[in-house]
Amino acid sequence: MTRTDLTPRMSWAAIAVTFAWLAGPARADEVDRNAATEMATKAAAARAAPSVVKIETAGGLEVVGGGGKGPGGPGGPPTPGIARGTGATTGLIVDPDGFVVTSSFNFANKPTDIFVTIPGRPTRLVAKIVATDQTRMLTLLKVDAKDLPLPPVFAKQDVRVGQWALALGRTLDPNTDHPPSVSAGIISATNRLWGKAFQTDAKVSPANYGGPLVSIDGRVFGVLVPASARAEGETAGFEWYDSGIGFAIPLEDIRAKLPALKQGKDLRRGLLGINPQSPDAYNSQPVIGAIQPDSAADRAGLKVGDRIVAIDGKPVPNFSTVQHILGPKYEGDVVKVKVARGDKETEFPSIALLGTATAYVNAFLGILPMRDDPTPGVQIRFVYPKSPAEAAGLKAGDRIMKLGRADAMALAAVRTRQQLTAALAQLLPGTAVKIEVKRKEGEKVETVTAKLTTVPDAVPEKLPMPSSAGKALEGQPKKGKEVFAPMAPPPTECGEEAAPPDDPFKDPKKDKEKIETGYLERTDEGLGRKYWLYVPDNYDANVSHGLIVWFHPAGQGGKDGEKMARTFREFCEEHHFIMMGPKSNNAEGWVPSETELVMADVKRVLGQYTFDRARVVAHGMGNGGQMAFYVGFNARDVFRGVATIGSVLGTLPKDNVANQPVSFFVAVGDKDPLLKDVEASKGALEEKRFPLVYRVVKETGKEYFDVKAFAELLNWLDSLDRI
Amino acid sequence: MHIRSGTLVLSVVAAVVSAPARGAAADPFNEVSDKTNSKMVKVFGAGGFSRLNNFGTGIVISPDGHILTVASQLLDTSDLVVHLYDGRRLRAEVMVVEPELDAALLRIRVEGKKPGEPTGLDLPYFDFAEAVKRPAAEPGDWILGFTNQFEIALRDEPLTVQRGVIAARTKLSGRVGVFDFPYTGEVYVVDAITNNPGAAGGALTDRKGNLLGIIGREIKNTQTETGINYAIPVGAKVTITVKVKEKDKEEERTLTLSLPDFVARGMKGEYKPTRRDPAGRPGDGGWSGIVFVPNILSRTPAYVEDVIPGSPAAKAGLRPDDLISFVDGEPIVSITAFQDFLRVRTRPGTTIRVDVRRGEALQTVEMTLGVHPPKPTPVPPPKKP
Repeated sequence: MTRTDLTPRMSWAAIAVTFAWLAGPARADEVDRNAATEMATKAAAARAAPSVVKIETAGGLEVVGGGGKGPGGPGGPPTPGIARGTGATTGLIVDPDGFVVTSSFNFANKPTDIFVTIPGRPTRLVAKIVATDQTRMLTLLKVDAKDLPLPPVFAKQDVRVGQWALALGRTLDPNTDHPPSVSAGIISATNRLWGKAFQTDAKVSPANYGGPLVSIDGRVFGVLVPASARAEGETAGFEWYDSGIGFAIPLEDIRAKLPALKQGKDLRRGLLGINPQSPDAYNSQPVIGAIQPDSAADRAGLKVGDRIVAIDGKPVPNFSTVQHILGPKYEGDVVKVKVARGDKETEFPSIALLGTATAYVNAFLGILPMRDDPTPGVQIRFVYPKSPAEAAGLKAGDRIMKLGRADAMALAAVRTRQQLTAALAQLLPGTAVKIEVKRKEGEKVETVTAKLTTVPDAVPEKLPMPSSAGKALEGQPKKGKEVFAPMAPPPTECGEEAAPPDDPFKDPKKDKEKIETGYLERTDEGLGRKYWLYVPDNYDANVSHGLIVWFHPAGQGGKDGEKMARTFREFCEEHHFIMMGPKSNNAEGWVPSETELVMADVKRVLGQYTFDRARVVAHGMGNGGQMAFYVGFNARDVFRGVATIGSVLGTLPKDNVANQPVSFFVAVGDKDPLLKDVEASKGALEEKRFPLVYRVVKETGKEYFDVKAFAELLNWLDSLDRI
Repeated sequence: MHIRSGTLVLSVVAAVVSAPARGAAADPFNEVSDKTNSKMVKVFGAGGFSRLNNFGTGIVISPDGHILTVASQLLDTSDLVVHLYDGRRLRAEVMVVEPELDAALLRIRVEGKKPGEPTGLDLPYFDFAEAVKRPAAEPGDWILGFTNQFEIALRDEPLTVQRGVIAARTKLSGRVGVFDFPYTGEVYVVDAITNNPGAAGGALTDRKGNLLGIIGREIKNTQTETGINYAIPVGAKVTITVKVKEKDKEEERTLTLSLPDFVARGMKGEYKPTRRDPAGRPGDGGWSGIVFVPNILSRTPAYVEDVIPGSPAAKAGLRPDDLISFVDGEPIVSITAFQDFLRVRTRPGTTIRVDVRRGEALQTVEMTLGVHPPKPTPVPPPKKP
């Protein structure tokens, strides 16, 4: 028997149940309880209805979260993004003096005019945006009205999982004198998205974003928003609409921030500015691996290597707990942090969180490592000219054995190139490091000092061969099920996901018979999706390969596969790359919702050959490049590079994070009408401090690279595992 | 959780104690599901290529084997087959289709019986006339959906049953930007994900198994740009305008079509589908005389740049810089939306109510549209973005 819906305060349900019992025949039980719940549902919607307003907008963009107009201008192919509907949206009255709160999603298309209709009042009112809570993606509106009805609030602490929850909206029925639209579900979880939201299985979509989630007695739990644990922005989480995973921001929290919002102050997330040392957010100690320059942590004097013991008095066993405590915080909020440094505990009693963080910047030593080399240490394949490595006197053929900060007591052994990459990810440019190196000549062991810099914009002109020691399978476990499952766990918000295994491994003998090479057309039987795959004929499972995933331009679905494979053939053979080309569902181009299906194909391919995970690249042109950007940002566990021609970033770039580095190669023709937009995209990436190569190709409109830029792209591809 | 209310405790306890049949009580929809399933058929017809499926769902509305379903491409074949709840596979034929109601009436054919002759099937069925008499469902009412979505069932396998609530009773069509849907009447929007491939023609019932409507197609709601799950109510009505030629005179007539009438007369073989004269479809619409700002954005707001002297807009008192915000209560999101509205929804002589934003206030004016001048009004050429 369900009793969760029978809280003492649920007078409406109680009345309904009582009524049903009095009126029902003897054989009542569940059947009449159903009737009672049904009645209570309607009564709850009616009780909340007077505070649920209708919002209409005019002007603005057709597509939000995407590049706006497509490459063909208005009427051109759709760009990855969300087509904004034309219907009304929903808001909730939060102050009798004309303040209405709603989901920022409803204004993601930047409308020029906003009108609000209040139930029971005949005229539409002109509304103005007062402020936005960027952490919860809520917008406060003001209309000129008095004595508006406030909805009853459900106390946050009384909310229980399993309670009935009704999502109300004003989109479907234009008449505000009618009851709002209803979707019925339950509270699926509280404290979701780092304590910011309730989760519900009621259907949440643009039909009710901004509307309330109410209890069975009509009290408001919170305001419905699209939300995502992985992304921020007003459209993040939209892809989950009607999926049974919906979110509502507690009304109690909204009311607490109302005074600040009313003053027109946009609210931003409070950031401490630390990165974890270990990629495992759950099973390892919360040790600070990196501190962002000029962040709250930096200003307060936290140090790399500090282990966080407690925040605000709450014990912190792992980094996930840190996320949970800091996740709901706002800019300006003050936290108390206790850390263990050495064998001493230190308390920082008041660290004021900052609203912006200086972006993480990748540090650069200036070498390319030899690949597929099971010998301990990292053999240097190439030293970048004018790099810290060159200045320190490192030479090709030398083997890096140990590395540490110049001021560290001891250097840590570096057994593989993954370890070296991971060690460098903890360090910022400007840091001095000591490197123990075994010289090629005479195997003499020396220690040198280098001062790390940022990744240069230049691409090496010529890279020495060979690039691989050809022993990728040596010392690796035999083919086993877990090795074959290439699905990495989903990355968490701050990206502290476990690094994927560098290379999937196979039993060479068994694979010999099965390995397919050449140009292959494949169809996913289950989904009916097609993709092509090009595996060079000289494929050797003992050499790890890079992967280029080509996203075709609009209208080119599958027609350009053989051409692309031919273009890259020589390079793939010499530099060990495999290429694949998924096909979009629509001839007009890619849509972001195809990401998941594309990634299923990519991961299948990744499981079938020997791959170097440092060189998995999304590549595309025009609309395809926009998809490459999108996929690159949304499958960061897989992609280490994104290369585009004439493509505009569809969404704002995500933050650069230490342990999921992504490099960009952005090119555009100087005659491309999108030149300005591509430049803006480049600027946005630079702001996030991503390693970026930007090239304007002369005398070019919307064509593929010229010879010079193409040569640079190839060297960029082959140098993605630079350290 | 504590229960403090005495009445509440009493009522719940009493209800439990007085329940004689635990089985039915534990599974509140079991009986209803079984009963409803026996009144449903799986329909197989044309399709099976590209994205058109060759399967659908149908509702039995007579013991003789009349079936109500959606007017889809599925029916474009002489080789129509239905699977009954008990596994029987029988031929069926289309009796009549009404595109304006998006409804079709089929009849099962039994070997050895002539068309029109009683089939002698004696099937369990929904009494459609009775269903129409019941009051319409409201937002919050519990519903069940019975469909063969994704061809999940064949022969005697039961259909998919989904549970949800009525989200809204509203019109999908006839609003600005929503033109490509044939049916313009009210629908039930539901919060269960019912409208999947093959679901069209399924039954929407209340929680007791009473028929509420026919589950519709897979369509996108342009209001939200998301898929929408809807059913056409048993009492569906649409009002349409048709052109009728009598002798040499052509005149417009307003007709009201209803699903109950379609079913009642259709089953007797007396229903004649409406034929809309193609000329009855949108023409040029009425003329306002507003000159808008250059329409260069995807959604340029409908700001008035100028008003042609003597035009309907001038007579209505519109001025430069007014923003056309609503017409007949419907939001005008862009210049294109306004132009679409006039083209599709008005004729010369139609009077529209226009809400314009002038400064911070909305003002309402009425405007009687005129005839387009012989030459198109010169509009400043759009500037290159």
